[in-house]
Amino acid sequence: MGELTTAPIEVEEPEADVLVEEDLPWIVIVWNDPINLMPYVTFVLQKLFGYSKEKATKLMLDVHEKGRAVVASGTRSESERDVHRLHGHGLWATMEHND
Amino acid sequence: MAFFKRLVKRQRDGTYTHSFPAHIPELLVGLGDQLDAALDEDSPELRRLFPTAYPNDKEKDDGYQIFARDELIEGRREAIRSVRRTANQEVLTEEELGAWLALANDLRLVLGTRLDVSEDDDLVRWDDPENDDPEMALRRIYEVLGHVVGELVDGLSSGLAD
Repeated sequence: MGELTTAPIEVEEPEADVLVEEDLPWIVIVWNDPINLMPYVTFVLQKLFGYSKEKATKLMLDVHEKGRAVVASGTRSESERDVHRLHGHGLWATMEHND
Repeated sequence: MAFFKRLVKRQRDGTYTHSFPAHIPELLVGLGDQLDAALDEDSPELRRLFPTAYPNDKEKDDGYQIFARDELIEGRREAIRSVRRTANQEVLTEEELGAWLALANDLRLVLGTRLDVSEDDDLVRWDDPENDDPEMALRRIYEVLGHVVGELVDGLSSGLAD
């Protein structure tokens, strides 16, 4: 992800990564890319999923530092809708069955 | 207190004002027209606008693309039309300004793909007079669009809950 040096992000201590519920079989993954800016990714996650700034920032940093983050989970149709909305906002998102 | 002046500000009534110089919306409209004309082409430079949803399952992904691609194209055309309509406005609704952001980011994705941008590019000074990169003009536009995206995100984020 590209850095935007004029807009530094305040980072809180990350919480445990417990976004995926066990009974929901599909997960939506956002992958790191060198083009989308870090504040933009945080903004999109807040806007689309209603996440707090803190949670969206933690997920964005996971994408940036670990290469990917699970940003949502649900049924196949729910996940497809989420992937589609992320694609509409230019994020590199995929979905997979959470075996 | 913000040290630098913000270019996009949210008003009490929920609308936004901006103080971008006129060449910025003109740039978005001009490049938006080019993107509009290219959206129906199957160009590899546009691949970041239409990612795969199921990277390990071609059959499922083909099914996704059947409905998704047309909707993604139409969503992008709607943003381009909105920017054309509002390019001369100094007061915009959240939705209108969101279209500016969507278009600016789409243009970055296309330009970044064409320029094969990598994370290491953050270290390169594109304004270095010693740099003789033949695609310098595109890289400068890419940098400008990055600042536009940053300002729009900064302004629109003030309308989100913490």
